[in-house]
Amino acid sequence: MRVEYINPFVEAAYNVLKEVLNTEVHRGELYLKSTSMPVLGVAAIVGLAGDVEGRVLFDMTRQTAIQVASTMLAGMEMEPISDLNDMGKASITELANMITGQAVTKLHNLGFKFDLTPPALFTGENMEVTDADVEALIVPMELPQGKLEINVAIRERA
Amino acid sequence: MKTKQDFPNINERTAQGLSPEGTPYRVLVVDDSMFVTKQISQILTSEGFDVVGTAANGQEGLEKYKELFPNVDLVTMDITMPTMDGVTALEKIREFDGNACVVMISALGKQDLVKKSLMAGAKNYIVKPLDRKKVLERILMSLKQ
Repeated sequence: MRVEYINPFVEAAYNVLKEVLNTEVHRGELYLKSTSMPVLGVAAIVGLAGDVEGRVLFDMTRQTAIQVASTMLAGMEMEPISDLNDMGKASITELANMITGQAVTKLHNLGFKFDLTPPALFTGENMEVTDADVEALIVPMELPQGKLEINVAIRERA
Repeated sequence: MKTKQDFPNINERTAQGLSPEGTPYRVLVVDDSMFVTKQISQILTSEGFDVVGTAANGQEGLEKYKELFPNVDLVTMDITMPTMDGVTALEKIREFDGNACVVMISALGKQDLVKKSLMAGAKNYIVKPLDRKKVLERILMSLKQ
């Protein structure tokens, strides 16, 4: 997978997380996975289709998701959540929306044309994701709330 | 008690959500994300606006607008929504009420749809992520146009 596809997502995630959570964000070492891999517990997935195709996952543990959602809600003077309720899920979904929105603008400016699906949220234990014929690049983002992995599997349309 | 007269406060300012007549501006929030709905409502009510209704898609938004009319001053309208998108809802609301004041809420990457909305009569637009300053500025600007 070409790095030019992943950079916009990394930059967008960095900017949005910093702004929305009002915190320092540290980018971890990028790594590559080519087979099935475990999902941490809460994963927002956005599909891409057009000049490039594939999917982006925003992956974190349930605990991290609760913390991240609570921080977002605190910005609206709302009580923190202790379980991933509907408002918590809506918060994580919106976060994925904001990051992909920004990343897509960058990719469109680079000349790639494609559409996005609305984010879907998966939650559960012992989940795996398998991408046929596409390598997944993973960029971990370290936050005070925990680790958020951006997992990008995109290829040019054949 | 004449507290205000006895102790004039130089920091005193009126809430931004009040019209020149001193009544709150009435807002309808249309968005499919309960997070964004809550976020916009919180920003507006804290400035004295009155959020008179919310709707989770364009169809619902159009129906709510007709129900509330003429007791509604402004609509915030998400662009990407199920059932009926925000641009279609904007067009239908403007068909019903040519003076409707609608502000579009958009994720980045939807410039074409934002342009289309402005051509269709949207007063302004706000790009997510939303922050307090941006939301209030754009909404007040639209109300004063």
